[in-house]
Amino acid sequence: MKIVVCIKQVPETNDVTIDPHTHNLDRRGLAGVMNPFDKNAVEQALQLKAATDAEVVLLTMGPDDYAQSLREGMAMGADSGVLLSDRAFAGADTLATGYVLAQAIAKIGDVDLIIFGRQAVDADTGQVGPIVAEFLHQPQITYAATLRLSGPNEVTAERLLEDTKQTLVAQLPAVVSVRSELNTPRYPTPRNIQLSFTKPLTTWHHDDLDLDDTRLGQAGSPTIVTKVYAPTPVKRALTPLTGTPQEAASQLIKALKDRQLL
Amino acid sequence: MSKPELWVVAERRLDHIEPTTQQLITKATRLAGDHFHVVTVLLEATTDHLEDELQPYGPDEIRIVRDDRFPTATDAELADALKQLIDAAHPNTVLFGATITGRSIAPRLQAKLQTGLTADCLDLRFDDETLVATKPSYGDNIMCEIICPDRRPQMATVRPNTFVAQPQADATPAITTAHITFHPVARLHVTAATPVVNTATTVGDASRVVALGRGAANEDTIASATQLAEKLGGRIGVSRPLTDQDRFTHDDQIGQSGNTIHPDLILNFGISGAVQYLVGMQDSQTIVSVNSDPNAPIFAASDYGYVGDAQAFMTALLAQFA
Amino acid sequence: MSTRNAAAEKLLLQMVDDYTTREVAPLDMAIDHAQDFPEGYLQQLTQTGFLGLMLPQEFGGAGFGPEVTATVLNHLARGNASTAVTLEGHYKTLDQILKFGTPALQQQLLPSATQRIFAFSMTEASGGSNPMGISSTATREGDHWVINGDKIMITNGGLAQVYCVLVKTAPTELSVFVVDQDMPGFSFGKREDFIGLRGTPVGEIVMDHIIVDDDHLLGKVGDGGLIGDSAHDDARILMGAVLTGIMEHELKIATDYAKERKAGQTPLTELQVTHRKVADIAMRKETTKLLYERAAQLKAAGQPYSEEAAMAKAHGSRAAVAAGDDALQILAGYGYSREYPVEHLIRDARAMEIAEGTVEKMRSAIATAEFHK
Ligand SMILES: Cc1cc2nc3c(=O)[nH]c(=O)nc-3n(C[C@H](O)[C@H](O)[C@H](O)COP(=O)(O)OP(=O)(O)OC[C@H]3O[C@@H](n4cnc5c(N)ncnc54)[C@H](O)[C@@H]3O)c2cc1C
Ligand SMILES: Cc1cc2nc3c(=O)[nH]c(=O)nc-3n(C[C@H](O)[C@H](O)[C@H](O)COP(=O)(O)OP(=O)(O)OC[C@H]3O[C@@H](n4cnc5c(N)ncnc54)[C@H](O)[C@@H]3O)c2cc1C
Ligand SMILES: Cc1cc2nc3c(=O)[nH]c(=O)nc-3n(C[C@H](O)[C@H](O)[C@H](O)COP(=O)(O)OP(=O)(O)OC[C@H]3O[C@@H](n4cnc5c(N)ncnc54)[C@H](O)[C@@H]3O)c2cc1C
Repeated sequence: MKIVVCIKQVPETNDVTIDPHTHNLDRRGLAGVMNPFDKNAVEQALQLKAATDAEVVLLTMGPDDYAQSLREGMAMGADSGVLLSDRAFAGADTLATGYVLAQAIAKIGDVDLIIFGRQAVDADTGQVGPIVAEFLHQPQITYAATLRLSGPNEVTAERLLEDTKQTLVAQLPAVVSVRSELNTPRYPTPRNIQLSFTKPLTTWHHDDLDLDDTRLGQAGSPTIVTKVYAPTPVKRALTPLTGTPQEAASQLIKALKDRQLL
Repeated sequence: MSKPELWVVAERRLDHIEPTTQQLITKATRLAGDHFHVVTVLLEATTDHLEDELQPYGPDEIRIVRDDRFPTATDAELADALKQLIDAAHPNTVLFGATITGRSIAPRLQAKLQTGLTADCLDLRFDDETLVATKPSYGDNIMCEIICPDRRPQMATVRPNTFVAQPQADATPAITTAHITFHPVARLHVTAATPVVNTATTVGDASRVVALGRGAANEDTIASATQLAEKLGGRIGVSRPLTDQDRFTHDDQIGQSGNTIHPDLILNFGISGAVQYLVGMQDSQTIVSVNSDPNAPIFAASDYGYVGDAQAFMTALLAQFA
Repeated sequence: MSTRNAAAEKLLLQMVDDYTTREVAPLDMAIDHAQDFPEGYLQQLTQTGFLGLMLPQEFGGAGFGPEVTATVLNHLARGNASTAVTLEGHYKTLDQILKFGTPALQQQLLPSATQRIFAFSMTEASGGSNPMGISSTATREGDHWVINGDKIMITNGGLAQVYCVLVKTAPTELSVFVVDQDMPGFSFGKREDFIGLRGTPVGEIVMDHIIVDDDHLLGKVGDGGLIGDSAHDDARILMGAVLTGIMEHELKIATDYAKERKAGQTPLTELQVTHRKVADIAMRKETTKLLYERAAQLKAAGQPYSEEAAMAKAHGSRAAVAAGDDALQILAGYGYSREYPVEHLIRDARAMEIAEGTVEKMRSAIATAEFHK
């Protein structure tokens, strides 16, 4: 069995500021770390690896320094890493990101299960997993809260919707995105961090993949970020409830119904 | 020339409409003015009448597709059905609730349509016919405006409870039906779906909290609060002085040296609002406070406030819930 | 010795920071109040591979060098000083086995050091600062040694499973042997009720006719003083790192609080009295950091580092107590409360004016070194 885990590298903290002159995000000095939700994805793959002796391949698209997150995943226990790095991939929105990842997964070949994190903590969209599933024509189970192999070629997952729990069974190959409740990711031990530098890490550039150039990077991205700004904190405006306790209670019930809290 | 269509994709949750759909319809009708035709697209079973829950919110049209496979359909099947509808009608804009369902189907549909999708938006406006979607990033520390200038439809998922749903007195949407070919996906099946009832076991993970302070600490008040918490499907939390009582422990405490919570709703009774308390709950979505002292600092941190006796207010509230 | 790999070190520190934030810092107060590490806490530290951090890879460790090892303890101590001191006691002991143990002893003991904690014990009721005052003995009987004695105030005493013990092999001759808790005649005594570093057990071992072979001797007969000094030197670098972590914690508490609190209408951050305190805390932290890093660099480069190691601890321990006092004063009543961590940081730092050689002893060591220049 071969499992691909897609990981993204994100800034270490979300305390980003806006450059007052350029109005761009000021990401200087922010170290990159593996997207925390992707650690759950890696952990899930490693548990399946322990159960079935699966091969776990990590895949990321990004600048060269994303190699660090591949090493981290390998220090957790993944077997190898693939870095997709090329100027042509830069500036991609979720659609263009999903396209390149899907093409790379096709090139890796014979992949039974593709695991994604719930979402990247910086851009927070959670869209890349379903996009890749669609491009590869595979069934998807998003926001999985549990995942196990239930047959030679089948996974069973539980999925928590807002107030429903679903159980789903998918034939492999399939795409799964996982919730953080699924597991507690292991820490890479100091020794395994050292040993991860002996595992294979491959870099693929534009020419290593079969790509339609109109679907890449900024040019292949339908969305454009036009403005970035720091939100002004909204001060709470107090609405007084008035009259007798009965009157005040009914005012509150109405307000809560309007807010769809009742 | 007919107006461009602005779609809200209705989501079902168990046997009802998910409230975000209604919130989005209200927002869409406001945005539309005279320029857009607001359509709510509803995929339901032949025996369903979920349109009854949409009608009062007054879209211009409710477009229904009926198939008994919809209630248990998978993301890919629903995305496929929507793709067929979009190919037939070419809407300008398609909106989804940023619920788990919405956030799973919309990107799949986006990939089929090769168009742009902005996630988890907190505001929407139109610049001419271009949707300008405001989305938070970096854990809500940064806002950005995103557009999709060249491709249609332009799509967005919108965070639940961002807008307030408002029924309209004279709403008379046209109800139409549309047809698609249901393409079952053989490789994925939903084998069970069960409602999850309030799984909160601690004040830390409850979505509704009834919080009690020194001004709401007697037997009767605690008994009423317990009933109230049950009715709301929530938990009781306390300010620090109440942890001296045997029935409450440090685990129930809200505040700097206790739990930091952010429920959808918190009702504070007899709590003055010391900073050490406030930091533990100020990120709650809706904050209601009852205190006999009009100058209690808690009011400055509340959305709704009542100056009066905690017990009397609770009794009145319980009576009206019944 | 392994060459340094900047990418590996970066990943390591990221892991340590993550671990500190999630597993260590949240328990800081609880550890102090309970006077122990919680159930499972050390097992997790062990599983995460911390015991093998500086152990060479050939013995199953990670093989990180002195600078990285010290930095890791600095970062861990931001979350909880006891955790870092428990590791300090282990690492300094491994260092002596690596420096002075025979290859056979290393092969026998060190592979287990990723799972078992090691400790170094010199102090006895009759001798702390003065090693010659000890009364434990190892006497030659046939082709082996018989060890008798009672050691107190051992970092990780009761927790550790392997102990390096300083004993007399003749009335004026000190030697160090390695004993294992499984050896007949070995037992644990009382745990100290210390006011600081309350997670780390500091306790007593009793050795009643423990029989060991020559291969359990570190170095040669009579090397005890040398090995004891070496253990102190290695420990002092790490304590400088722990003290830096404590001061970083103190600084954070003080600045966070000052940013929120107002004196009347004036934020504390605008008061000169706050400026002085915060600046002093920051300078004490930074000087200690430079001192321990300098000592670690010298050690890594194979140069003498005894004096610099003593400076790191002598300066750092007083600095961290003083910094804690300033932080406490900024928080005032809250600082004096056990619900805030400042008071226990002062107690934690205070231990290091005594452990691994008192500041008085270190000052004489530093002064003596200067006289010899
Ligand atoms: C502030 C901001 C807002 C943005 N908003 C939008 C938007 O609304 N719509 C949009 O289309 N684009 C948006 N983008 C662009 C988007 O961030 C990038 O396309 C990004 O490459 C992928 O999207 P994501 O970060 O949201 O990942 P998500 O879709 O949240 O990630 C889900 C999972 O996909 C995998 N994954 C994600 N990225 C990679 C990668 N590079 N390599 C390997 N695996 C990966 C991981 O498993 C991850 O857990 C935004 C960018 C910024 C900076
Ligand atoms: C280091 C430190 C940490 C702390 N951490 C926490 C913490 O985590 N959580 C916490 O809660 N506190 C904490 N505190 C304590 C905090 O400062 C306050 O003392 C505490 O929050 C007060 O609790 P209270 O509001 O219930 O009581 P009070 O301040 O006594 O307020 C009682 C309120 O009830 C009102 N009242 C009286 N009778 C009635 C009535 N019949 N009907 C309606 N209202 C009535 C009064 O007007 C008053 O406003 C901490 C303090 C310190 C020093
Ligand atoms: C938290 C903690 C952990 C410890 N861990 C260990 C451990 O792992 N292993 C171990 O062996 N011991 C350990 N100790 C014991 C520690 O090493 C001794 O307490 C220390 O060496 C001082 O010895 P003493 O307490 O007997 O004081 P004494 O030696 O009796 O000293 C009393 C006073 O006289 C001063 N003094 C004594 N001799 C001189 C001198 N020559 N010049 C100047 N001043 C002098 C001292 O500075 C001190 O102020 C630990 C102690 C603590 C507090």
